[in-house]
Amino acid sequence: MAQRTAETRNEGPLKNTPAMNRSSNTTAVFSTALALRLALFQFPTLVSILGGQVEIATPITSFKRLSEGVFLYRNGVPPYDGGVFHQAPLLLGLFYPVISSPILVKLLYILSDLAIGFMLLRITQIKDRDAAKDERIRHDLTPNLGLFWYFFIEMFDQFRPFFIIVFQIHVFIFAAPISIKLRNHPLFVAFLLSTVMGTFKGYPSVGDASLYLGLLPLCSEIFKYMRYSFLIANLFMYSSLLAPIFWYLWVYVGSGNANFFYAIGLVYGIGEIILMIDTTYALMRRDFEAQSPPQPSDEASSHGWDREVVQK
Amino acid sequence: MLLLTGALLALSISSASVSASSAGQEAFTAKDAIPILKAPEAFHEELVLKPLNDGSVYSHFQFTTHIGTVMDEEHFEGAASNLFTHYNLFPRSIGQILHSFDVEELHLTFTQGRWHYGDWGYPIAPSVGTGVELWAWLNDENKQTDTNWKGLTNTLSGLFCASLNFIDDTITIEPKLSFRNEGLYNVHTRSPAAKNNTESRTNPRKLRYGSLPHENVCTENLTPWIKLLPCKNKSGIASLLKSHKLFDTRFYSMAIHVRPVCEDELCSVKSLELVQSVTTVFDVARHDGSYDWTMTGLFEREITQACPLATTSKVVLHLPQTTEYRNQYQLVPFPPQGAYSIGSTQDNIQEIAVYDLKTDLETHPASTPFQISLRWENSRPKSVLPISPGIVAHRYFTGYGQEHGGLAIEIHNNNEQDVEAIYLDTLPWYLKLYLHTFSIQLNGKTIDNQRDLVQKMYYQPAVDRSRPAVLELALRLPAKSMVKFSVSFDKVFLKYTEHPPDANRGFDVGCAVITVQLPRERGQIGYGGLDHLRIYQEREASLVQSRLTMDEDDGDEAQVIKRQESEMDRIRVYTETLLVSLPTPDFSMPYNVITLTCTVIALFFGSIFNLMTRNFEVVEPKGAKDAKGKGKSD
Repeated sequence: MAQRTAETRNEGPLKNTPAMNRSSNTTAVFSTALALRLALFQFPTLVSILGGQVEIATPITSFKRLSEGVFLYRNGVPPYDGGVFHQAPLLLGLFYPVISSPILVKLLYILSDLAIGFMLLRITQIKDRDAAKDERIRHDLTPNLGLFWYFFIEMFDQFRPFFIIVFQIHVFIFAAPISIKLRNHPLFVAFLLSTVMGTFKGYPSVGDASLYLGLLPLCSEIFKYMRYSFLIANLFMYSSLLAPIFWYLWVYVGSGNANFFYAIGLVYGIGEIILMIDTTYALMRRDFEAQSPPQPSDEASSHGWDREVVQK
Repeated sequence: MLLLTGALLALSISSASVSASSAGQEAFTAKDAIPILKAPEAFHEELVLKPLNDGSVYSHFQFTTHIGTVMDEEHFEGAASNLFTHYNLFPRSIGQILHSFDVEELHLTFTQGRWHYGDWGYPIAPSVGTGVELWAWLNDENKQTDTNWKGLTNTLSGLFCASLNFIDDTITIEPKLSFRNEGLYNVHTRSPAAKNNTESRTNPRKLRYGSLPHENVCTENLTPWIKLLPCKNKSGIASLLKSHKLFDTRFYSMAIHVRPVCEDELCSVKSLELVQSVTTVFDVARHDGSYDWTMTGLFEREITQACPLATTSKVVLHLPQTTEYRNQYQLVPFPPQGAYSIGSTQDNIQEIAVYDLKTDLETHPASTPFQISLRWENSRPKSVLPISPGIVAHRYFTGYGQEHGGLAIEIHNNNEQDVEAIYLDTLPWYLKLYLHTFSIQLNGKTIDNQRDLVQKMYYQPAVDRSRPAVLELALRLPAKSMVKFSVSFDKVFLKYTEHPPDANRGFDVGCAVITVQLPRERGQIGYGGLDHLRIYQEREASLVQSRLTMDEDDGDEAQVIKRQESEMDRIRVYTETLLVSLPTPDFSMPYNVITLTCTVIALFFGSIFNLMTRNFEVVEPKGAKDAKGKGKSD
């Protein structure tokens, strides 16, 4: 699921095309997406390589673990009575009838991708949606792009429960203040909260990034108020390029160690954090400009929106 | 650690002895009307030697102690509690352990080195898996099995100076098909005739199995083991046990087995049997390439007398099985009564020379100390009968990197007929097994219909940090075939405190065990497991014979099966232990990781807190007083 949804990232901006030629454009985009997926499925090695990447598949999104869960269930072994399968029972139910047929599984992925694309399209049209999620505490320390796995590998035993609680609270503690403060911008709140979760959840993957990066263009009006877009873009590119390399150096070649991959996760995390801070700042700044536009007679008007402003 | 365990053991032993004696008294007052007659305890000592085809010499010490009661069946249980109040030959420490933890059957084996099935055939000792293996049947009447098992492992740990206390829930399993009860007693109760009479008497019992593949065995484990013997190593065959020589061998295994057995064909006399065994493979040809050996050369000690407490004291030499011509070697002294053959058919005949130390040393003082030497023409055999064990198994890891891996098991069936086998594999929780990747190859070809080979499959998925994965298969191995299983797994990332101090050495994965019934074959060392003595001893031989004749009443079919079984031996074949390396974190990093991660999180928290709680304001030009912009949203 993860690697499929990751590709929807590309569709986000396209959904914002002008309304007049939208329908013809949409058909073109959707058929291209369909064709692209069908083409990609012709390379089974690509699918298995991507499915095994730690940036993409986490313990709660791994298709391999899902297959194992379905297999155990099919053979009368309780799938949750073991350490392998952690996924939602609904997923088990959904994949139980189709998993033996690879074509149906591929079809399911393609359809869900198209559905996601269609929903993003609808959201753009309506621009009026909200989202919420919650998380469960787990103890699988398989590395991912998040900040937690290495932290809890290295954490002293007696402090582990404390930090697990603190970090899990951290994921949803922002929901209330953000929802109150930015209550006039539900779409941006959806983006921000999904970014918070995508950053601070226990098992984030690029699938989570694809969600918030897909939602980000819905608020494209704030882009011009952002101060660090170049830095953010660089951090994202830097980490997505180096993460697989450092993983390979650590786990396969042995010439690097866990710190390499952890450092890249940290860079990625900083990128996400700066993205959140900067977009929030930009949104609020835009609001401020809208509510108290510079007076034509004002001295600062010559600078447009670039006048000196401080937060108090 | 060991000191501490020792102290705990002393405590538990003393408390156990108190409870044992009080329980014994209660039993006595309650049942003093019952005629409890102590059968004489008996002790047998025996040493089996066999020159192996590759020049090594196999030695198997077996010390058997019986503690028995003359009892009819319904009184046996009551007698069992009385059993452990008097100790003559039976070691008190073992008796108390059995009593306080409700143990019905106990098997503990320490092994160093790997048994080479291909060169050596099958050993007499039933367990040869590298490391420590402990399995026990515990009485579950009081539903205390888990507590008792924990107590048992900890107490044995103290008794044998071994890390048996590390056999905890994360490695303990309960096999469903392997490791059934052993002993004639249990064989007897399994027969249909006996079952009818004793159905009400069968106790609920539970099996527990655990192994420590990385445990090293050395002198400190042998010393307490020797202390359990009636004569220690002061006299008798045990005086050959010199740790200096025993541990300088290619293979070393030391075991204790406790099981209930029957003393007569009706099983009205039952006894508890304690078998202690030491198995070694001496590398005789290591120094000069010569296959000649003497007993003094092997053990650097001598037997001056049989253990006075022993009922029988024998040295059995399996004569080398040469082809071409017979007299390639010279055995000195040759037993006065001559060599004789065991085995009934052409396929399993084995010539043995038996030396009775009781008669030889006590009636012929001239033969003291006891000595054997075997010399070959030109120091080497010209031709020996090759050995091909019926079932050989290998297990290995596939794949590379520290993320994923695969496990492959190859089982070779060299028999001319199909063989039923039970495969048991325990994998630690830090290997996440994907059973949906399980595949079978028969002679190199992947087969789709697994039902033909795998008749039953029992799988227990692992739970992180609490129990291992167990895979147990009932197999039907086709004649002259090689069956290969493979399954893939993921390696788990452990907390830094869960790694051993030598983290980059890797983790040991214990042996897989294949239980199989095989026909007895020529050239193998010894079949029959612990019961092999019964093949040499008339007393036991007649017992087996009478049991067989009694079973003839069961009908023709049962009789045929029994006759076949008498030629069959239940053997456990152990695979290699494996070493798996897991990805390691940087052990010097805890502080750095904690501070860096917390900094990043604080960066976000601080910034968002800032944005959420403060509003924008236009900076006033110099000197200006009134505010231009005020808060926007709130």
